[in-house]
Amino acid sequence: MEYFTLTIDGREVSVLKGTTVLEACRMHDIPIPTLCQDKELTPSGACRLCVVQIEGMRNLPPSCVTQVAQGMKVETQSSKVRNARKTILELLVANHPLDCMTCQKMGNCSLAEYAYEYDVTGKVYQGEPRHLPIDDTNPFILRDPNKCISCGKCIKACTEIQGKSILDFSFRGFETQVGPAFNLSYQESDCDFCGSCVSVCPVGALVEKQMVGKGRSWEVSKVQTTCPFCGVGCNFDLNVKDGKVIGVTSNPEAPVNGKALCVKGRFGMDMIHSPHRVTTPLIRKDGVLVPAEWDEALDLIATKLGEIKTNYGPNSIAALSSAHCTNEENYLMQKFMRAVIGTNNIDHCART
Amino acid sequence: MELLTLMIDGEKVSAPKGATVLEACRMNNIPIPTLCHDPALSPAGACRMCVVQIEGMRNLPPSCVTKVMPGMKVETQNSKVRNARKTILELLVANHPLDCMTCQKLGNCSLAEYAYEYGVTGKIYEGEKRHLHIDDANPYILRDLNKCILCGKCIATCEAVTERNVIGFAYRGFKAKVSTFLDTDLKDSDCVYCNRCVAICPVGALMDKSMIGKGRAWELTTEEATCTFCESGCKFDINSRNGKVIGVTAKSAANGRPLCLKGRIGSDFKYNPERTEMPFINQDGEFVQVTWSEFLGLGNIVEKINSLTE
Repeated sequence: MEYFTLTIDGREVSVLKGTTVLEACRMHDIPIPTLCQDKELTPSGACRLCVVQIEGMRNLPPSCVTQVAQGMKVETQSSKVRNARKTILELLVANHPLDCMTCQKMGNCSLAEYAYEYDVTGKVYQGEPRHLPIDDTNPFILRDPNKCISCGKCIKACTEIQGKSILDFSFRGFETQVGPAFNLSYQESDCDFCGSCVSVCPVGALVEKQMVGKGRSWEVSKVQTTCPFCGVGCNFDLNVKDGKVIGVTSNPEAPVNGKALCVKGRFGMDMIHSPHRVTTPLIRKDGVLVPAEWDEALDLIATKLGEIKTNYGPNSIAALSSAHCTNEENYLMQKFMRAVIGTNNIDHCART
Repeated sequence: MELLTLMIDGEKVSAPKGATVLEACRMNNIPIPTLCHDPALSPAGACRMCVVQIEGMRNLPPSCVTKVMPGMKVETQNSKVRNARKTILELLVANHPLDCMTCQKLGNCSLAEYAYEYGVTGKIYEGEKRHLHIDDANPYILRDLNKCILCGKCIATCEAVTERNVIGFAYRGFKAKVSTFLDTDLKDSDCVYCNRCVAICPVGALMDKSMIGKGRAWELTTEEATCTFCESGCKFDINSRNGKVIGVTAKSAANGRPLCLKGRIGSDFKYNPERTEMPFINQDGEFVQVTWSEFLGLGNIVEKINSLTE
């Protein structure tokens, strides 16, 4: 393994050959703003916010697609670099709807974060605003293409993480849009609503619909947890406000899944506070399901299974186990069926 | 203490006699939005955000100035109440500069918080904007009266400071504003920059200049500290971002002397490059750096103690 030594803002650092300048900076806690970069996605060098000054190079190269070289001299905060970034932000903000007061993304919006840092108010260039229709036809993702900065991360997340390739750029120039084929709504497209696009969107173009109006990032506390839906063991952050779960966001440090989640994990957690949730066993008495104690329910099942086994034989019983359970619970279920009941009639929802 | 029983949103609650409906709600964790209220100041009933519906009462009374009565039936979230609050917010936002993207107050701005909660975007009434001059002539407080909602809390808190009373309402109607005597900049007034008005302002009209651009509420960690400058024992919040102190916020709006200029700007000293950590002695007209034992006249006491332990 070959190491290169370079100088960043006067500080000497050593990194592996093949590392980008951006990665070298991040490894050494040197902040670089980025909009189109995500470590789970291939770099595209699209937003140009990560530009730096490198001695001997023409122009200002984007650090996310520039590999380190031995003896490189990098400046990340010189006035030339900061001015270039500021102009990029001014141009992005020029036609951005500045409804930050009520925008769901605020607090988590990279554009607003950098605009604040670089003092970009949107007054320098007053661009033509877009008036594209807002896609709110599905229950999970609210898509406001007027806020899109065309960074392309949602496209990459859909293609590279989820492997669905539902999203891509369409039209050209000022008309450029991101969306499903034929400019369909998410609802009419092949979208699974995994929400990976939402988790990487740096602005308010894609937001979790369920969370709109319920609280913004600075009002919620995040609790990392393991998804209870299946045995994969994805981790995510429950967003809790005033003791109530208002939604789910990806935790980039999740060991199993990174930012990826499925529709059930990301958008199914409203079940926690669902009034339809069954919280006690129900026993059918005279045709009506009546809430019962666990002991009573388990006794009833044991008695009935015993009777059925005695009267009709073990093969008259079958069990269908669940992906909601852990591997251990599923193992116990098959052990119970084979060793206690005495049948091989055991199956699992995820096998079908 | 006599306790009265009343119904709030269908729940039976008790509150001490003399408490306001707002206090009764807050004691029982029933949220009520307020802009002009602060528990440390006498209630003004100015902003009308805290309106509730009370059976048998005309109109919607503001809960901050309505005392509880036994058997009162209060509704805090019905559609009539919420619509009234929404209209108030729409009117406040109508001429508010919506530069929230870069406004230092966002994350701590009550107007933005309620606008978000009530879905108020500022599109219903597009009011005439004010173009008042921004007072940034002093090093401590940035005063942008275009963002002022005239809640009057800064005036009340300034009034509570002995010998201050620097600001009051001036002009009328749309031109009404919070002003110093003769409408001067703060630097030409009797203001001593205790920044209590800044700590209590619910919007971005008054901001701590030293914190601008250095981080917003959600990026900061706050820690309560007791000031080290004098013996008054003032407590305040120290705001830090990524481990670096960026400013100080006053704790209380009125009681005692919660903050002075020294306490508030003293947090800077920590990072002063000219700060010395070792003592100096004036020798032949020149300051020479010496060790603490030399300075305290203890000679080589440290070496002696060290030699004893060896």
